[in-house]
This record gives sequence, structure tokens and C-alpha cells, in this order.
Amino acid sequence: MRTIQVCIIALLALSPAPALSLDHDNLDPNRPIGMEDAYAIPKGEIGMEGGVRFNDRREGRTRVTFQPQIIYGAFDNTQIEIQGDLFTDPKSLVGASKSGDLHLGVLYNFNTETLNLPAMAVRVEADLPTGMNSKGVDTQLTGILTRSFGRLRVHLNAGYSLLGSPQGQERPGAYRAVAAVSYPLGYPTSFRDTLIASVYTRQSDLRGQRNNTGIEIGIRHQLTSRVVLDGGLGTEFVGPSDRAALLGTVGVSVGF
Amino acid sequence: MERSTLMRLGVIIVTAAIAVTMAACSQFEPRDKRFYYRALWNFALREDLAELDSEFNGVDFGHSNLYENLLLTGGKNVPAIEETARKQTLAFIATKPRLNPNEEAIAPTYMKLAWRAQNTFDEAHALHRATYDIVVSDEPDKDRAIRNVLNYYQESVYAITAKRLDHHRLDTFPYSKAFRNRFPLFNATIWSYHYLQVAVYDSLQAAPDLAAKTQAVRPILTTYRGYLAKPPVQWTFMPLTAELSPAFAARYPELANIFDNLHMLHDNISDILTSELLPTWDEKRAEIYRLVNTYYLASADATNPMIVRSQPEREHHH
Repeated sequence: MRTIQVCIIALLALSPAPALSLDHDNLDPNRPIGMEDAYAIPKGEIGMEGGVRFNDRREGRTRVTFQPQIIYGAFDNTQIEIQGDLFTDPKSLVGASKSGDLHLGVLYNFNTETLNLPAMAVRVEADLPTGMNSKGVDTQLTGILTRSFGRLRVHLNAGYSLLGSPQGQERPGAYRAVAAVSYPLGYPTSFRDTLIASVYTRQSDLRGQRNNTGIEIGIRHQLTSRVVLDGGLGTEFVGPSDRAALLGTVGVSVGF
Repeated sequence: MERSTLMRLGVIIVTAAIAVTMAACSQFEPRDKRFYYRALWNFALREDLAELDSEFNGVDFGHSNLYENLLLTGGKNVPAIEETARKQTLAFIATKPRLNPNEEAIAPTYMKLAWRAQNTFDEAHALHRATYDIVVSDEPDKDRAIRNVLNYYQESVYAITAKRLDHHRLDTFPYSKAFRNRFPLFNATIWSYHYLQVAVYDSLQAAPDLAAKTQAVRPILTTYRGYLAKPPVQWTFMPLTAELSPAFAARYPELANIFDNLHMLHDNISDILTSELLPTWDEKRAEIYRLVNTYYLASADATNPMIVRSQPEREHHH
């Protein structure tokens, strides 16, 4: 409960006065759940995103992550991203994400969805070892598909991460797969909310453990022309003993 | 297998899959969304004249909802269009939406059929919005602001020609008038939207301050709402900018041409989606793209036979 209060206070502190719009139907990772659609933000748009994510683990202390991010529609169908997640309890982290790592990413969307083809995109990411206990440059390649069936959109993400310098029992590489759906709520009288749900599995951070496998559900709400709020919840039902019992995210995106 | 090998294998598989898909499918097309022209006057209309802005948000719903329903019903079901879809549109307008709706949620099938045409609309609609924002804002040099936003628009490969097109000739294709003949109420409703979109320019420009602008658009809104309640089925052609906002059209002829051409393209697409002469979705898509590429995009100016080279004649249809 205390963690949730901290998250809400942090969100309010991050929220700017209503001004501008990332489209609430354009889905980016962690806003609010760990999936994305195949579309980049429009060329020329700048987005500032911030979120707070808590991970109430079955073993170990609850971990809170602050997720500041800047995204920019740098070229046609291409967005670049700069992110630097900050974790509580940073010394206990294992795997690719370390507190304070500088995360750089590029998403390239190949095509829009047509009657015969899904939308397709590829994401390339690198984590520079600027964070605590971080060594080596970690990289990730993800393929993304989006296909709609009426108003329901289905998204598939499949990626592989490589650790530049794995430590101890850390896996040198791990795959991740997500299947998700999104649906705009309110048709035909309101178009301000998108519901998102996903199921995912990813190889554990340490060797010899079961995949972290879970579900997440979230909502994105267009508050003003430029501001989108998001919130999500999730749980991992399979995985290592310290897997998430409850995941929660609140965030805000401002486009201008 | 080491991770570098795995990585190479993954890249090869992904690249091969994409290459095969691209080669196999003629429908591969880029999304090419572009952000609006960034300026201090962005959203001035929404913030300062919300009553008018919300009507335009309703208009956005109307076009997309019409296209989706025409496509899904084959353009044959009169009650589905004249009653259900039209009343859905009126119901949405009655909610006085504060934000423009997500058109991909309104017309997911149409967007997949003709994204290139939709992107052409989206960019022209953004230009429409930008000009309202400038006119309503306290921007001191409105002419310069409008020049800048027009230049930005014309940099796009999706820009509609700023030349005057022969709209009457563009209304003589074999399938032309199919929509207005079969669905006169919804057609008149669409033309009412276009009336509102172009009629407000002169009133907004002539009014010296925000209070005066608010007052100036009231009679136009009253007339527009009257048209929604009782669609003007007696009109024989779409409203033209020079007819309803002659001062704006004289001052910014390129903008007036773009907006009239945009509205004509809306009518053409309504006809294509309605007509049995183009019975399949593939044929409809091909004809929409042929029209857009040949007659509407500025990139076709050098060869466009629909460009009017003589002086315009003032038209009165409303």
C-alpha cells in the first residue's frame, strides 16, 4: 500500500500542466505494460514520457523503477529513444537492466497495415554500462507485428538480448516473446481510452531457472491534446522464486 | 552455438522474412505519419473557441464513419447509411467532443484499404486545423504564419495540389454522383460539414478579437446545426471556399484551392465506395489510388489534366 502511495505521489510530481499528444493508441514499451505496436511516432514529434513501476516480488524486497524517457520521430517511420531507468535497491539487480544504464533504442516501422499485410517493425536497442554494477554494452533486437481484426488489434513482439559482459550466473543471452491485444473503449461516442492486455514469457536472468511468464493489463487515457496517462497491473505465474507477485505501473506521456 | 552465431542467424531470418513478404505483396506501403507544424499557436482554436473546435471534432468522426460503413455494407444498404451511420455521427457531434477522435478506431477497415488516401486527408486536415488556430490566435503576423504552415504542408509528398482543379469534370467519372443519388441525406450532411469548414474563415478573420470571433461564428454554427437537423438535399454541388469565404479565398488562393480539392476528393471516394461499377475492394482501392496519384497530389501538377488554367468563375450553389 505504501508503495502504491509512493507511485501516485511520484506520478503527480511528474505530471506537467495539460498542454500537448502522443496518440493514446500508439503503444510504446512500458507505457504502461511491456509490449508495443509496430508503429513509430510521427516524424518530427517529440515525446517525453515518465513512469513509475513497482514490482512486488514473491521473495525479496519490492522494487520500484523510475522510467524517464525521451522519444523523437527522427525520420520517416523511425523513432529514436533515450531512456535511463533508475531502480530502488540497485545492487541486487541481475540481468541486462541495471540502474542508471543509458538506454538507446531505434524503432523502424516497415509498413502500415493493409488488408493483406500486418504492420511490421524492428527495434534495435543498446544499454550502455553507465549504471551501477554494469559492465559491457548489452544489445537487443526485437521484431514486432501488428494486425487488426475490426477494432481489436493484436501485437506480437519477439526479441533476443545479448549481455556484453555477463556476471556470475547471468545468462549471456535471453529471448522474450509477448502476445498482446489492444482495444479502443467507448466507440462510437468516446475515443479517449485504449485497453491493452498481454501474456509474455522471457528467459530468466540467471541460468538454470524457469522462464518468467506472466500477464499484464493496462489502459492509456488521452487526457488532453498532448497528454496521455497510463496505468497497468500484472503478475508472473511461472518463474524463479523471486518472480513478480504484483506488477504495477503509472505513467504520463507528453507530445510536442 | 555461440551468441554471435545466434544473433547472425536471427538477423538473417528476420531479413529474409521481410524480403519475401515485401516481394510477395503489392500492398506493401509506408505509413509516413508526420507531426503537425509546431508553433505557439497550436491548439489556439481548441483552447479559445472550444465551441467551434468541438464541431470540427465531430466532422472528423463523420467522414471516417461513413467510409467504414460504406465499405462494410457494399454501399447498398440505404438504412445502414442514411439512418444508422448518419445518426451515429449526429450522436457523436452532440457529445461536443473536446478532442478529435481516433479515426483508425472508427474506420479500421477503410484505413487498411486506402491508407495513402487517408494520409493525404490527415495532412490536409492538419493544414485546415493550423489555419483555424492561426486565425483565432493572437499571432501578430498571421500572413507569415500561414505562409510557413503552407510551406510545411507542401514539403510533404502527400500534399494536395494548390492549383485550382476542375471540380465539375472531377464529378463526371462513370461512378460519379453514386453516393449523393443513393444517400442524399448523408451526402447533404457531408456538404454541411464542408460548409462549416470553409464558411467560418471570413467571419473569424474580420473579427478583431476573441470575443468578436466567438460572436461572429455563432450564426454560422446555428445555420450548420440547422443543416444537420434538416440536411440541405436541394444543394447541387459541394460548398466552395470562394463562395462562402471570398475574402479568405482571395487572400490565400492556394489554401482555398487545397481545401476545395480536399472536399472534392472526399466526394470522389464516397462515390467509389458506393458504386457497383467497382465491385471489389481491390478495384475500389486501385481507383482511389489512381485518382489521388493522378489528379490530386501536388506531385502530379506537371501532368494533371484537371488543373484549370483560366481565371475562376464565381460559383453559387448554396
